[in-house]
Amino acid sequence: METEVSVELQRLAEVLRQSWKQVRTPKMKAILKVQDVACDAMRRYLKSKGFIELLPPIIGPVTDPGIRGAKQATIDYYGREYKVMSSAILYKQVAVSGLGKIFFMSPNVRLEPIDSALTGRHLVEFVQLDLEIAEASYFDAMAVAEQLLSEAVNAVRDTCQKELELLGRQLPTIKPPFKKLTYDETIEYLRMRGVKVRYGVEIPWDAEQLLSKLIGEPFFVIDYPRGARGFYDREDERRPGILRDFDLIYPEGYGECASGAEREYRYEKVLERMKETGEDPRKYGWYLEMLREGIPPSAGFGIGVERLTRYLCGLDFVWEARLCPKLAGIYSP
Amino acid sequence: MKIFLTLHRFYSLFSDLAEIWGSYPFREIIERARKGVDAMYPADALKPSIMLLKGANIYKHPTRYATLDELLLLPPAFTPLRLKKMSELLREPVFTDVDLRHSLGGFNVMMPVMVASMGSVHVANKISLEIARGAARMGIPMGIGENVATMWGYSKRVKSGQPCFKERVMTYLENLDGDVGGVTIQQSVEDAYNELWNRVYSDPDIEPFIQKGLIGFEIKVGQGSKPGLGGEVRLSREEAERLMDKYHLSEDPRSAVRDRVERHSAPGTFLPEILRGMIRMMRNNYPRCRIWVKLGPFRDLPEVLDVLTSEGVDAVWIDGREGGTGMSPYASMRHLGLPLIAALCSISRQLESRVGSTSFIVSGRLYDGGHLVKCLCLGLDGVAFGRPVAVSAWIAGSRGVENYLKTVELEAKMLISALGKYRVRDLSREDLGCLDRDIAESLGVRYVYS
Repeated sequence: METEVSVELQRLAEVLRQSWKQVRTPKMKAILKVQDVACDAMRRYLKSKGFIELLPPIIGPVTDPGIRGAKQATIDYYGREYKVMSSAILYKQVAVSGLGKIFFMSPNVRLEPIDSALTGRHLVEFVQLDLEIAEASYFDAMAVAEQLLSEAVNAVRDTCQKELELLGRQLPTIKPPFKKLTYDETIEYLRMRGVKVRYGVEIPWDAEQLLSKLIGEPFFVIDYPRGARGFYDREDERRPGILRDFDLIYPEGYGECASGAEREYRYEKVLERMKETGEDPRKYGWYLEMLREGIPPSAGFGIGVERLTRYLCGLDFVWEARLCPKLAGIYSP
Repeated sequence: MKIFLTLHRFYSLFSDLAEIWGSYPFREIIERARKGVDAMYPADALKPSIMLLKGANIYKHPTRYATLDELLLLPPAFTPLRLKKMSELLREPVFTDVDLRHSLGGFNVMMPVMVASMGSVHVANKISLEIARGAARMGIPMGIGENVATMWGYSKRVKSGQPCFKERVMTYLENLDGDVGGVTIQQSVEDAYNELWNRVYSDPDIEPFIQKGLIGFEIKVGQGSKPGLGGEVRLSREEAERLMDKYHLSEDPRSAVRDRVERHSAPGTFLPEILRGMIRMMRNNYPRCRIWVKLGPFRDLPEVLDVLTSEGVDAVWIDGREGGTGMSPYASMRHLGLPLIAALCSISRQLESRVGSTSFIVSGRLYDGGHLVKCLCLGLDGVAFGRPVAVSAWIAGSRGVENYLKTVELEAKMLISALGKYRVRDLSREDLGCLDRDIAESLGVRYVYS
C-alpha cells in the first residue's frame, strides 16, 4: 500500500541510513557543541541549587506507562521480561525518598507509533534531564524549569556565537517567570481561533505548535484534566478531576519543552488511577510495595535534551539534534 | 389385552421414574459429585465442536423470560416512503432496493451487523480465520476478544493449530474490499501486561489500516452470560504452565491432578470516574482509533450509558444475558444479569432521546434478519452475532459465514421493505408491536391487543 506517508518515510529512511556521515558536517558539529554547552549549563545550575546527579537506571520490571500510545521496549532478562526505561519516573520517586533533590540525564526508549516519524518532534531513543524534588509543589518545579531553560539559553547565547551564526539562529531573550495558562484557558484560546480540540485529552501536536507560534514566548499549560496523563500525576483534592501538572512550551512553533507534575504518592490513589490506564497492578509489585510503606510527596519534570537542542539551534527536525537518531519504524545505524 | 396391560405397567413404572427424576436435578448433582469443579462448566475442551453447542443449554427453558420474540413487526397499508422511493427509482420499489449501508461505531458498514468479539477459547480461536475472511468479504466489522495475544501469541503461533492474534487481525484487514468494515480489539488486564493496544498502535503492518480509520479498541466492562466475571478458559496443564505468570489459575498446573485447569481472567474494576478516565486516556493515546465499550446486562446500565455517551465513545455494545455463553459457568448462565429485552427496557429513555454520535449495538441470542430489524426499530444502530457465525464457520468455513450473513441481509431487506421503508434510519418504534403489555409500555411501542 503506497501512500504519501510511506513515500515520505522511505525518503527519511534513506537519509538516516547514512547518519554516521552527519557528524563530520560543520552543521552537525555546531549542533552537538550547542547541546554540550546547554547540558553543562543546566548541570551547573542544578548542582549550585543542591541537586545530586544520579546514574540513570536503564532497565527494570516496569517503566513509565504514560507515554501516549507508544510501546515499551522489552528485553529477555534471563527468561523473564524487563522493560527499557521509557522514563525514569518511578525511579525518581525511589531516589527522592532518600536524597531530596535529584536529577538524571536519563536515556529513554519509546517505540512510538509509526506516524510519529514525520512529526519532526519524536525520537524513539532520546535523553531527558529528569529531575525530582521532595516535598515540593508543582509551582516549585515550574520555577526550576523556567530557570533551567533560561540558563541554557543564556549560556548558549554567550558562548556559542560562532555556532549560532553558522546555524543561522538568533536566540531570543527569555525572562522568567513565564506565563501560565490553565488547560481550560488553553482549550478556550484555541477554540476562539477556530481550532477544533477535544476536551479531556492532551493538546494535539498541531494545536500545540500553533499555540507555540501565537504566544511568542515560553509559557506553561497547567492543570490538565484527569485522564490526559499518567497515573502518577497528582489530582488536586480541592478541584476533583484536575491534575496538579504542567507542560512548558517553547515559542516559535517548537512545541513541548518539559512535562512535569506533583506526584501521586498515596498507595490507594495510585491503585485507583492505575485502573484507568488498564494497567495490571501485579506488574508494579515493587513500586506498590514501596508506596504502601510510604514515600515523601514530590514534584518534578523532564526536559528532552534533543528538543531543547532543536529549539536552541532553530532546527526543523528533532532528529537533527542527535548522533545517529532512531525514528519510529526506521531501521538505521 | 395382556400385552396392553404389560405395556401399561412398564409405561407407568417409567413415567413414575421419569417424574421422580424430573422433579429434582439429580443428574446435575450426580455430575457434580462425580466430576467436581469440572461439572461447573458446559464446556468440554476435548471436543470443541460439541462445546460450541453445549453453552446453548440455557435455552432449554425458553419461556423463563421474554425475548425479542415478544415483538412483532407491523407493516402499514399506507406507505409514503415507498412512494418517495418510487419517485427516486422511476419504478415500483422491491425489497432488494433496501439500502442497509450504515455507520457503526465510526466504521462504514455494508449492513448494521458485526461479528461479536470472540476471544481465546480454543473452539472460537480455531475457526477465527474463517470468520475473519467471511466478515471482511461481507463488509461488516469484527471484534477480537481478549486474551488472544496472551494465550496464542501476538505474531507467532504458540501452537500449530491455533492462529495467533495478528493472523486474525491481518486476515480480516487484507480481505476487506475498500474502506468499509473495521476491526475492534479488546485488551484484558492480562493483555495490558504485554501492552497489546500499544503494540497494535505501533505495528508497521497495521499502521496503514489505522490511517484509514479501520481499527478500534474495545474496553470490555462485561459480557452477557457472566456480567461481573472475567474471561474463563480451560487449559491443558502444559498451556497453563506457560501462562502461570500472567493469569490466575484454579490450581498450580505443575501439581494438578486433573488434565485441565481453569484460567480465570480478572473482570476489571470500574467506577464512573475510572471509566471516564480510561476513555480519555484512550482518546489521548490512540487518537486515530475508534473507542468501543462492551457492557454486560448490568442493573445500572442507564448510569453507565450516561457516562459513555457524555464521553462520546464511538460505540456502546450491550450483551444481554443470553449472549457470550461460549465458556461460562452454569451458575452464571442461570442466575446472573438481565435478559436482553429487559436491558433494552432499562435503557429505553436513552434510546428514545439519542444524543451525540455514539452507536448502540446489542447482542444475545440474535441470529436472523428479524432480530436485526426489530433492534433497528427500537433505535439501536446494529446487532452483533457470535454463536451463529461460529457455527457457520465450523460447518462450511468462510463460505458458510458469508452464506449465513447473506440470509440475514436478505431477510432484513424483505422485512424493512414490508414496512414500506428503504433506509435503516427510517425505521422507528411505530413499526413494532408487542405481545406483552408491560414490555410494550417500557419500550414505548404499541401493545398489539389494544
